[in-house]
Amino acid sequence: METLSFEFPAGQPPKGRALVGCVGSGDLEVLLEPGTAGTLNIQVQTSVNGAEQRWQHLFQRLFQEQTPPALNIQIHDFGATPGVVRLRLEQGFEELGHD
Amino acid sequence: MNAHDLLWGMTPGHLPADAPAWVLDVIGAGHPVVVRRAQAEPGHVAVGVRGRLREQRFAAVMPLAAVRRRVVPEALCDVISPRNLPALRALAQLRTVLAKEIWGVTGSAGFELATGIEALHAQSDLDLLLRTPERLGRGDAEDLLAILDTAPCAVDLQLQTPYGAVALREWAGPSQRVLLKNASGAHLVVDPWQAVA
Repeated sequence: METLSFEFPAGQPPKGRALVGCVGSGDLEVLLEPGTAGTLNIQVQTSVNGAEQRWQHLFQRLFQEQTPPALNIQIHDFGATPGVVRLRLEQGFEELGHD
Repeated sequence: MNAHDLLWGMTPGHLPADAPAWVLDVIGAGHPVVVRRAQAEPGHVAVGVRGRLREQRFAAVMPLAAVRRRVVPEALCDVISPRNLPALRALAQLRTVLAKEIWGVTGSAGFELATGIEALHAQSDLDLLLRTPERLGRGDAEDLLAILDTAPCAVDLQLQTPYGAVALREWAGPSQRVLLKNASGAHLVVDPWQAVA
């Protein structure tokens, strides 16, 4: 078990919060809560050790296309593939947009 | 050949040149590989190699002609282990619950029951698969999950629909869209019993 922290530039905080994903092999649970304007904080708790670079690259690719909202994101990862991580984060952002 | 089937017959010669040493070790020792949900070239099957540590998972491709033995998850339901661990006690408890279903054991429990190689530990989850060719209602999913959650360890049950696999825990939950995994990847869908567009 390993806990990793990441920080990215962000826009304004959203109003609501969202919880998406599922506890179970190959999946992850993502909690998104409003953060401080300008900053996106991500905490990843993962069962797979030694994957900091992989997460860093994945987040970079995801946020370079569009500036994300200011959030505190907590991720509990159970060995999800990058494809699943990306889908779950997109689902989380979408649910924030609905509130 | 379906996801989670265990296959014997892979040799170090089938591995790519950049395979880590631990992969060569377990394949050289004759351990089986696990069929992955991924596409492979004709005549081949996508497999995963599992090592002793949790982060030791390696994706590879096996020629079908090399397969010497195959064990499907359903064949492991009634295998009795001499070890006393929460995952194995959970399995014993759930056998009666699932008696009328088509179900199987996957993950480290399945690997250990099929090979006799110790893969489970005291904190291991129990990974199960339930074949659901017909739609399982979300209320029924909730009822089944409530029973699984009384087991002595965490139980991760995947519903195998004709179009992929979805976690019972998520199908039983409040989310409108759920994650369906199949050979083409992961998709968020409203109905896992409908073909992915």
